Amino acid sequence: MSLVLKAARTTASRSMARPNTLFTAYRSLHSTKPASLEPIPTSSNDPAKPMTALANRDSNQFGLEMPNNKAEYVLSTMDKIANWARQGSMWPMTFGLACCAVEMMHMAAARYDQDRLGVVFRATPRQSDIMIVAGTLTNKMAPALRKVYDQMPEPRWVISMGSCANGGGYYHYSYSVVRGCDRIVPVDIYVPGCPPTAEALLYGMLQLQRKMRRSRKGVLWYRK
Amino acid sequence: MVSLWRTVRSIQRTGLKEWWRQMQYIGDAKSGRLVGTDQLGNRYYENYNGEEEVPGRHRWVDYAQHDYNGSQVPPGWHAWITHMRQLPPHEDPIVQKYTPAWQSPYVENLTGTRGAYRPYNTTKPKVYGWEPKTADRA
Repeated sequence: MSLVLKAARTTASRSMARPNTLFTAYRSLHSTKPASLEPIPTSSNDPAKPMTALANRDSNQFGLEMPNNKAEYVLSTMDKIANWARQGSMWPMTFGLACCAVEMMHMAAARYDQDRLGVVFRATPRQSDIMIVAGTLTNKMAPALRKVYDQMPEPRWVISMGSCANGGGYYHYSYSVVRGCDRIVPVDIYVPGCPPTAEALLYGMLQLQRKMRRSRKGVLWYRK
Repeated sequence: MVSLWRTVRSIQRTGLKEWWRQMQYIGDAKSGRLVGTDQLGNRYYENYNGEEEVPGRHRWVDYAQHDYNGSQVPPGWHAWITHMRQLPPHEDPIVQKYTPAWQSPYVENLTGTRGAYRPYNTTKPKVYGWEPKTADRA
């Protein structure tokens, strides 16, 4: 009996100690509370109102994706066409620096077959729109990386692959290694892992497609 | 393997509407046994007939959301679809027994939204906003 009571008490105290929310879906930029009507739930099972949409509620991006008038409707449709074209043919510039490059080659090989998504490696920066930084970025390589990035035409994206490129990783305290390639180039997608599997990198490419789909450059120009 | 007869057979089994949906989302005309539906509304199928589905494509998911991605498959069904478990989570006694009641509900990958995971961080930010400093005019 006492054991049962004790177990019940410990579970109760644990559930009280555990934070009630998984995450906060808004950032507290202001001292006053946000003026949203109801609190954002922490999980959703409704496919019509998915968690990604709920978490983005009342954000700038959410407002951008909702056209206000006919001109914005036309422009956002054209944006969507441009996004569709972009996400269907991503040509990554390969910047293989270390062992991550092997996994990057596996993504191109038969099992994961990046070509079915229209992802084709292109060895020149002038004709590619994504750069995959795969591996340890050393101080000596950093100017070359920046030069190659500067040669890529707009719009361009960067995928940082592996913990060395994300933040230095194993070589974080080395005297000759850049602590993350985001000190040199702006990074869109970070793929964690040491090295990440080819599957993880492919998932990163799919997340980049998601990011491309969110782009509303025409609407942004119109609203300005 | 993909063939005309397989496509015709799948359309006969699933109906034209479901075939059209499959061509939009999966890109192939598939038919099989509906194994179950998860809490998010995704439907899971399997077809072990080697004449109809290539081994490796014999278990698949039909996502409920229009903007789908792999993280919308909850852990139990992920174990089923990748053959870590033979039985689906609602039929597997071991999954049933060892799923704790206090497990928090599954949330898909929220990267790129305001719900994205942000670790506790004490390092100095690398990017600063512009704070204009002007000297007083003499």
